[in-house]
Amino acid sequence: MASPINKTELAHLAKLARIELAPDEEIKLLKDLAEIIDYFKELEALDTSRIVPMTGGTDLKNVFRGDDERENTDRGAGAELFPETENGFLEVPPVFE
Amino acid sequence: MKALHNLTIKKFHDGLLNKEFSALEATQAFFEHIENKDPEINAYLSLAEKSAAREAEAADIALAKGEAIGDLAGVPLAIKDNILVKGLPATAASKMLEDYVASYDAGVIKKLKNQRAVFLGKTNMDEFAMGSSTENSAFKKTKNPHDTARVPGGSSGGSAAAVAAHMAVAALGTDTGGSIREPASFCGVVGLKPTYGAVSRAGVIAMASSLDQVGPLAKTAEDAAILFKAIAGRDPMDATSVEKNYFNNEALSNPKLEDIRKLSIGLPEEYFIPGTSKDVADAIETAIEKLKGLGLRFKKISLPHTKYALSCYYIIMTAEVSSNLARFDGMRYGRIRNAERGAQKLSDLYLKQRGAGFGAEAKRRSILGTFVLSSGYYDAYYEKAQRARALIKNDFDEAFNDVDVILSPVAPTPAFMIGEKISDPLSMYLSDIFTIPANLAGLPALSIPAGSELRMQNLEYGKKHQATKLPVGFQLIGKKWREEDILGIGQFYEQLEN
Repeated sequence: MASPINKTELAHLAKLARIELAPDEEIKLLKDLAEIIDYFKELEALDTSRIVPMTGGTDLKNVFRGDDERENTDRGAGAELFPETENGFLEVPPVFE
Repeated sequence: MKALHNLTIKKFHDGLLNKEFSALEATQAFFEHIENKDPEINAYLSLAEKSAAREAEAADIALAKGEAIGDLAGVPLAIKDNILVKGLPATAASKMLEDYVASYDAGVIKKLKNQRAVFLGKTNMDEFAMGSSTENSAFKKTKNPHDTARVPGGSSGGSAAAVAAHMAVAALGTDTGGSIREPASFCGVVGLKPTYGAVSRAGVIAMASSLDQVGPLAKTAEDAAILFKAIAGRDPMDATSVEKNYFNNEALSNPKLEDIRKLSIGLPEEYFIPGTSKDVADAIETAIEKLKGLGLRFKKISLPHTKYALSCYYIIMTAEVSSNLARFDGMRYGRIRNAERGAQKLSDLYLKQRGAGFGAEAKRRSILGTFVLSSGYYDAYYEKAQRARALIKNDFDEAFNDVDVILSPVAPTPAFMIGEKISDPLSMYLSDIFTIPANLAGLPALSIPAGSELRMQNLEYGKKHQATKLPVGFQLIGKKWREEDILGIGQFYEQLEN
């Protein structure tokens, strides 16, 4: 069976993932993804119709913290790494076109 | 003065208490050794000489004042570069984070600072912990200290190599599908992947959040137990972490032989397969014979869904990767300089920053994860994998009705050559087939060198190494929250060896 990811589909996925790909990267990815997805086909043989999906690494449910006041340390720490700032505001390119 | 960098945590602690050396002297001795040795190995991405000296002095002062100090006071440790230490770089070996400096301490680092440990530096890894050889680092290739033409394993390859080459007493790594255990096996050190939830993930750069755990790499199982006890326990900053009172559990680092002898060990037929190298098969057989000598009973068992684990893992993990890596937008954690040229709007900036900042494996996994989660494929891949994960976990639940611990190889081969698998992702992924199931099921698992002759003696200070025989580890998988079983067997196994 042909790989479900062709050139058009790859371009779409790359756009969704917000990753710009160079042409040579596209060629390598098409080949790698086809092989990997082909490997996944073994799962088709597995009957999982009556199995409840395991949705995480833990059985914990509804972990709450107390509704207490918390000491806020280092507010704004990390902002110094932001590439562009002006008067304490973080600057980004226009969001709306 | 004897070579300080060859010490275990235990011996270091005794030496410190007996005033054979100060923590500061030891720390300086480590930096000297690193300066000589690391140009050959490339285990470290960055060193923290100033803060390490301050931490060592603080430990010395506490000791001089007669304060009670723990086993880890003054002990020089190496930390994988995806774990945040305030004021130190945390690049996760990615260009995306080349300029990033951590603004807070990870939960595990806070605990170690309370114990007055010393942090020598941050170790190399596969970018964002994605890989099995440390070749996916954006910055350098780490060499296996036993044979510098070979990989140290990955993704915690820098931490494993640092410990093996005595450039740290012990280290922290992270393990999502084998990233502590496989490098431990390749480098001849001990590596523990704790039960999911045993150790805080707060302040650890996330790869796949339902699988990631932080754990120790050390020279002995006893050291691994000491370090594990120090980092384990509930952290309010990680909602999946659980308090199991490991810290007061004497059995972890001081097991009793009569308890260990009662344990039965399962040998899963699905883990003893053609394709496993003879070196590995021989090492496992030797380990089993030695453990039988201790009085442990063995039993053949079956984990029938093992063959689906690799597919299951690569679907769930990449799905989580595509979500976790979304935060790297080229702004919040620093920007790749000049990569945004021509970007007029925000969406273009994202595309260009992420295109320039991520390496090939990070891109491959993000895109694959986007695919398995996308409308039309979600049921066939992501949900199917979640159901397969439940079956894999059930296999273990049933097996553990019968046995207490499961023994298997860690990896199908010893350390492979640098460059051997890097261009073929699927063959690289197959390095993890024996380690992945424990992550999917959330179980604790230990990698321990099968032969001690390869562990410490080969790596005396200052020698060049071309090992004729490479280290091989065997894996012990325990019941949930029962690290004491696997660490206990490990500690008695080492005593047999010595």
